[in-house]
Amino acid sequence: MIVGKQKSISEIKSIIAPFKKVLILGCGTCVKTCFAGGEDEVSVLASALRLACKMDGKDIEIEEFTVERQCENEFIQEGAPAIARNEGVLSLACGAGVQAVARRFARTPVLPGVNTTFIGVLETQGVFTEECAGCGDCKLAVFGGICPVTRCAKKLLNGPCGGSQNGKCEVNPETDCAWQLIIDRLRILGQMDNLRIYVAPKNWQTSLSGGPRKMVREDHMI
Amino acid sequence: MTENFKPKITLFHCINAFGDADELFTNGSKTCEIKTVKMACSSMVKDVFLLRAFEAGADAVVVMVCPEGQCRYVEGNIRAKKRVAWVRNLLDEIGLDGRRLSLTHMSAGDQAAATRTINDVVKKLAELGPNPAV
Repeated sequence: MIVGKQKSISEIKSIIAPFKKVLILGCGTCVKTCFAGGEDEVSVLASALRLACKMDGKDIEIEEFTVERQCENEFIQEGAPAIARNEGVLSLACGAGVQAVARRFARTPVLPGVNTTFIGVLETQGVFTEECAGCGDCKLAVFGGICPVTRCAKKLLNGPCGGSQNGKCEVNPETDCAWQLIIDRLRILGQMDNLRIYVAPKNWQTSLSGGPRKMVREDHMI
Repeated sequence: MTENFKPKITLFHCINAFGDADELFTNGSKTCEIKTVKMACSSMVKDVFLLRAFEAGADAVVVMVCPEGQCRYVEGNIRAKKRVAWVRNLLDEIGLDGRRLSLTHMSAGDQAAATRTINDVVKKLAELGPNPAV
């Protein structure tokens, strides 16, 4: 899922400052799971902003609405009447959701309420970790299902550096050494021979470094 | 402090920590107005409910939970404690002052402790004054 963190109240206040009627638009998919922009977070933020604006003596109307997914027109459409009633939209979706809503409603300012942070997993309740860099050329089959591109601070593809200590990364001792994890996992899988496979330097053209990417599935196009 | 300020306090309480707080506070203190909200477990106290209580005019909000280790649902009071801490930070960020929100562990039916808690909140409100967001 995409993991994000809600912006501070002070930043959000400054973002919505020019408007008197604002819709806080939540997204019921990734950002709901990471407690940044689902229905619950929309209602908490709306309440907090109403209190904050009253304290500042600012007259503002805040409406709340959450769609299932902000990155698809079909779901965005459900928010159309609420969007039409307001001067601006504070989207609590990831950056993709914000832009999808902005594209659909070209005349309405659509503003971000969340800092989109990474693609990750729910490691334990309330803890999210980054697991995928979206590099566009997945080699997880070689690495026993553990990504050194994302989880090794040095992005090493052919074995660990010399700084790993007690299974922890020398860059951040709180982070597991990705290569320790890879070797432990390959041992369990009986795939230690994978370590003999030379992985060529990565071609970053498939990543964001090659410019914004586009995927076309003609069989799904009408 | 504003003269003749009679604080409004909203009290969220677990029914296991305090069976019927209404009765206790209906006759209760002449120094404050108390609204009570009963919950089957203190873990039901969501952050938005606490904020809405302030929006509805509360000068302070109190959450009464069972003593640690004595929650009927094992960890409800721990969840409530974490949520209250989260909302206190939010209130500070808003500028409303997190001290307006407090959590108290309460043995079942301990009327004296409940009264003491409310008196402490009233004293604190004498310093903080009325809810500035009303």
